[in-house]
Amino acid sequence: MIEGVWLWITFAALALTTVITRGSFILIGEKGRLPPTVQRALRYAPASALAALIVPDLLLDHGHFQAFNPKLVAGAVIVAIALRTRNPWLPFILGMGVLIALRKGLGW
Amino acid sequence: MDSAFRRGAREGMRAFLPISVGLVPWAIVTGIAMRSIGLSELEAMGMSLLVFAATAQLGTLPLIASGAPLWLIFLTGLVLNLRFVIFSAAIAPAFHEHSMARRLASSYLLVDGVFVAVSEKLRTADDPQWRWGCYLAPAVYGWMLWQACSLVGVLGAGAVPHDWSLEFMATIALMVMLVPMVRTRPMLLAAVVGGVGTVLLRGLPLRLGLFVAIALGIAAGFAAEHWQERRAAR
Repeated sequence: MIEGVWLWITFAALALTTVITRGSFILIGEKGRLPPTVQRALRYAPASALAALIVPDLLLDHGHFQAFNPKLVAGAVIVAIALRTRNPWLPFILGMGVLIALRKGLGW
Repeated sequence: MDSAFRRGAREGMRAFLPISVGLVPWAIVTGIAMRSIGLSELEAMGMSLLVFAATAQLGTLPLIASGAPLWLIFLTGLVLNLRFVIFSAAIAPAFHEHSMARRLASSYLLVDGVFVAVSEKLRTADDPQWRWGCYLAPAVYGWMLWQACSLVGVLGAGAVPHDWSLEFMATIALMVMLVPMVRTRPMLLAAVVGGVGTVLLRGLPLRLGLFVAIALGIAAGFAAEHWQERRAAR
């Protein structure tokens, strides 16, 4: 866990990523234009990055591969819900519900 | 305050209000997730006010919890925020006549929902004051709603028992964001390569596997799109 001054430095660094990306073209003004090829390639960055953070949490247990585990089951439920409804609460309620039921109820 | 500004503000609010509801659970969850890795109330709200980017906050929490090096956290935040470069490029013409201070504030306040709601209106409006109102009103309202709901999560997190695996809420939030994004095959391929790649490459030193996998995912998606277009052209 990062603590104390370093934690605040970390927040400042992250704040910088917010302003750098959001401000990139707004701050440059009229000179800046993104090449269309780069723009098209960048469209894939969020999906790739989000999956890169999600999948390890669903498949790894302390760095070890776990093909079948409570989080993966909860993850499947969340995807199924997110595909069917735009309700902003359901994925959280049912996803956490499944995970807690499997862990606490079944002791998995 | 002239009336063009006000008319713009009304128009912007009308477009953003309905979708702003979606911010509520997302902000509460972000508040809870920050507390679940052990940040204090003050630290969590500090992060919320300074960073003001849910995906980057949620995505870097595990790295902060495990004491990852600063450069890795910075680069991860940068990648997670990359989509804003596209938004920024698209919305920038709306701010050309405005001062640097206004442009800086607009940059900090640029979030997905506001962009989706007003970018088209800004593109087609001629009056700079109207545009400024149309952007600023929903952006400031969105910011206030977000911070208030984050605070609810931050303060409420303590009421939930520790063994409820609340940190999983962060992963759920990221999944809720990812699923609607993956509507085309190239996008799905980018996600699969990025996700599975990170698991397979986890042995690489300095957690470089994360970046290599994300880069491979972007390349795979882009290549698939190219290939799809070539096939369609034939």
